[in-house]
Amino acid sequence: MKISDAVVGAGFVAAGALIFTGTLGYPTLEAGHPGPSLFPRILGSLMAVFGGLLSLQGLRARDVTDEVAWLRLHKNPAFINALVVLAGVLAYIFLVEHLGFLIMGALVIFTLMWRLQVRPLKAAVVAIVFNALVHFLFAKVLRVPLPLGILWW
Amino acid sequence: MIENIQAALVMLTSWKLLLTITLCSIFGLFVGAVPGLTATMAAALLVPFTFFMDPLPALVSIVTMSAMAIFAGDIPAALVRIPGTPSSAAYTDDSYELTKQGKAELVLGVDVICSAIGGLMGAVILMTAAPLLAEVALTFTSFEYFWLAALGLSATVMIASISPLKAGLALLVGLLFSTVGVDITLGYPRFTFGITELLNGVDFIPAMIGLFGVSEILRNMASAHLKYPITAVKAENIFRGVAETLWKYKANMARSGLLGTFIGVLPGAGADIAAWIAYAVSRRFSKEPEKFGKGSIESIVDAGTANNSCLAGDWVPALVFGIPGDSITAIVIGVLYMKGLRPGPMIFQEQPQLVYAVYVSFIIANILMVPFGYLAIKVSSTMLRVPRNILMSAILMFCIVGSFAINNSLFDVGIMLAMGILGYFFEANGIPVAPIVLGMVLGPIVEQNFMVSMIKTRWDLTQFFTRPTAAILAVLAILTWLAPVYPILFRRFARSASPA
Repeated sequence: MKISDAVVGAGFVAAGALIFTGTLGYPTLEAGHPGPSLFPRILGSLMAVFGGLLSLQGLRARDVTDEVAWLRLHKNPAFINALVVLAGVLAYIFLVEHLGFLIMGALVIFTLMWRLQVRPLKAAVVAIVFNALVHFLFAKVLRVPLPLGILWW
Repeated sequence: MIENIQAALVMLTSWKLLLTITLCSIFGLFVGAVPGLTATMAAALLVPFTFFMDPLPALVSIVTMSAMAIFAGDIPAALVRIPGTPSSAAYTDDSYELTKQGKAELVLGVDVICSAIGGLMGAVILMTAAPLLAEVALTFTSFEYFWLAALGLSATVMIASISPLKAGLALLVGLLFSTVGVDITLGYPRFTFGITELLNGVDFIPAMIGLFGVSEILRNMASAHLKYPITAVKAENIFRGVAETLWKYKANMARSGLLGTFIGVLPGAGADIAAWIAYAVSRRFSKEPEKFGKGSIESIVDAGTANNSCLAGDWVPALVFGIPGDSITAIVIGVLYMKGLRPGPMIFQEQPQLVYAVYVSFIIANILMVPFGYLAIKVSSTMLRVPRNILMSAILMFCIVGSFAINNSLFDVGIMLAMGILGYFFEANGIPVAPIVLGMVLGPIVEQNFMVSMIKTRWDLTQFFTRPTAAILAVLAILTWLAPVYPILFRRFARSASPA
C-alpha cells in the first residue's frame, strides 16, 4: 500500500485541518485562556504543517511511486488475504456475542488458515483444538468472561 | 544496596517466578527466532497475561522475554539471511556471508556470548545510573517534567528515523490519540463522537496490540505460505573459537556496550538503532572496513553487543522519569500504570524491591541466555520450519482475545483492528509506528504538566525558562528542535570560510 508522499502529506494536511476545526466549539478557561482546545489545536496545526512539508518533499522528489495497482487490486492475493483478516475480525466483533467464542474463534482461524493454503482438514483440526486451548487458558485459567453465545461451556 | 539485591534474589528464586522466567525465555527465543515476529509484538501480546500477574512477575517476564528475543533474532539472520527482529538487521548480511563460508557455528557462538555480555554491561550501567538520576529527578516539578517529555518527543523524531518529518507525523498521531477522552482542565470530552467507551481515552493496550501485532500479521499475509531454504547447521560446538575472537575484539565489545546503553537511555531509540549505529562506528574504526557487508565477524561483535546492552539502557528513562526509552519500555510504562504504579523517582523509594527485581532479572536473563541460547540454536531449524500460515492465524486469535481481556470489551477489539490497519498503512509508506506509541504515553505527561504549570503560575510563561534545571532542559530541547537546520548552517559556514 505504498502511495505517493505527496498524497500522504495532503492527507495529513486535511486531517490536521479537521482536528483544528473540531476544537472550535470547545469551552475556554476563565479570563479566556485556552483550556481543552489548546493541545489539540497545536497538534492539529503542526500536523498540517508537517503534512504540507511532506507533500512538498514528495512533489520535489517527483515521488509519484504508486505501488498500488488500483485496477488489479482485486487480483492481488496479499490484498485479499489482508481483507480476509479484516473481515474475520469484524465478523468476530459483531457475531461473537451471538455465537460464542468457541464457534466464532474457530471459524475465524479456520477461514484465515484455509485462505493461506493450509489443507481444509488440517485447518479444521488445528482451528478447533487451538481455539479450545485459548478458551481454556483465558476463560478458565485467567477467568476472562469470553462470550458464551449459544454454547453452555 | 546489597541487601536489596539479596532480597530480590530471594524473591526471584521462588519456583513460580523461576517457571515464569523459563516460560518467558522460551517464548522470547521462539518469537525472536521466527522472522516476522518482533520483540515489541511479543511484549504487546504478553501484556494481557501480565494483567493477571502481580507487578513484579509482570516486569520480570517482559525483561526476560525481550532479552531472549533480541538475541534469538540473530539466529535466522545467520541461517536464512532474514533478521528475526529488526535489531539484527544491521549485521544480517555479514552473518549470512560467514555462514556461506562455513563459519555458521562461530557466528552463532559469537552472537550468543556477545548478547549475554552486552546485556550484562547494560544491566550494570542501569543499576548505577538509574538511582543517581532518580535523586536528581526528585527535585523536578511540572516545569522540568514538561521539558523532559518535550525532549523525549524531540529525541524520538530526530534520532529514531530516516525521515524526521514522517517520524514527526507519527508522533503527532500518537499525541492526538492521547487527547481523546475527558480533558484534564475542565473535564470536557474531546474527540469522543458521543461514544461512551472513548470517554476514558483510547486504551493503550489494544492500540499496542493492533499497531505491533495485527499490522505485522497484515504485512506477513503476502508471504505467509512461503517456506525459506534453510542452511543446515550442525551446531555441534558453537563455542569453539569464540573466546579468541572475543578477546581480539574486547575493546570493540566495551565500546559497543557503552554506546548501546547510551542509545538506550535516549528516549525513543531502541535496540535496532543501537545496532545500526554500533555497526557504523565499528566500520569507521575498523582495521578491515572493506570486509563489512561481506562477512565481518567484527561487525557482529559490535552490533550484537550493542543491541542487547541497549535493552537495559531503555529502562533508565522509563523507571526514573516515566519516559520510555523504546517501544518495549513504552509498553512497560503502560503495564505499570495499569497496575496503579507511576514510574518516576518515587518508585525508587516506594517500591525499591520492584526496581531491584528489574536489575536482577536482567542479570539472570543474560546469564541464562548462554545455555538457553545454545538449546535454541540446536532446535533452530525446527523453529524456522513452523508453518507460518498456521502461526499467523493463531497469533491473530491471541491479538483478539488479548485486546478483549483488558476491559472485557469488544470495542477494544475494534480499536485493535483500526490500529492494525493504521500501522500497516504507515509502515508501507515509510512512516515508523513506534513514535505513535511514544506519543500516546508522553502526550498526557506533556499536556498535564504544561497545563498544571500554566494554571499554577497564572499563565506566566517565563517560569518555564527561569528555573535552573528547567532552563537547561529547555536549551537542550530547543537545540534538538533546531537539528534539521544545522547541516544548512554548516554548509553556509563552510562556503563563506572557503576562499572564493
